[in-house]
Amino acid sequence: MRRYETIYILRPTLSEDEINTIIENSSSIIRTGNGQIISVDKWGMRKLAYLIKKESQGFYVYCDYATDPANVAEMERKFRIDDAVMKYMTVKLADTITEEEIEAARGEHEAAKVAAKAAEAAEGDNERDSDDSDSDDSDSDEIDTDTKEDE
Amino acid sequence: MRPQKKVFQRQKVCRFCSDPEQPTVDYKDVKALRNFVTERGKIIPRRIYGTCATHQRQLCEAIKRARQIALLPYSGSNQR
Repeated sequence: MRRYETIYILRPTLSEDEINTIIENSSSIIRTGNGQIISVDKWGMRKLAYLIKKESQGFYVYCDYATDPANVAEMERKFRIDDAVMKYMTVKLADTITEEEIEAARGEHEAAKVAAKAAEAAEGDNERDSDDSDSDDSDSDEIDTDTKEDE
Repeated sequence: MRPQKKVFQRQKVCRFCSDPEQPTVDYKDVKALRNFVTERGKIIPRRIYGTCATHQRQLCEAIKRARQIALLPYSGSNQR
């Protein structure tokens, strides 16, 4: 089994249910084909760097999995047919992968998600503390008449 | 005799070689990749940044992949 990761972009006008349906369909192709899904991550709506099918935003989904090459072709074929999937890209990460590595990778993804959430929470706290700018030292031109220059 | 060329080049260290944490730049890491791309989206040549050949190749591949998946633009700063 080889390890792949796929990113696919869905149309922004889809509803939550439709998005989940598409994700489920593609995941089931992998599962029925004797593959293992390591992680599925929904990145959410993002602004696209260029217009794809006249849309400027897209819903990104990231999927990390291990399977046979035939299943990847099948999944991409389904993507090509589906109108809702605007773009997809599959990258091969490793030629062979063992069970332990799959488990380790799953753990890594979970840890990364937890770390990302913690970082977001920390950032939220930081933003609340606003930096008070120091007040400028005002140069007083007034001459103090009170001060006498004593010897 | 070859004339002595005074080529003064400060020692450029490849960023990735000296950074033990990140062996390769991931194409998904848009923030990091943006540093190596000009405003109009062109890849910055290696002699300016001083990256080594291996890492420049990996970087280029990552940038091209990110372009494919619309994380980075092919050209133009038409985003902003």
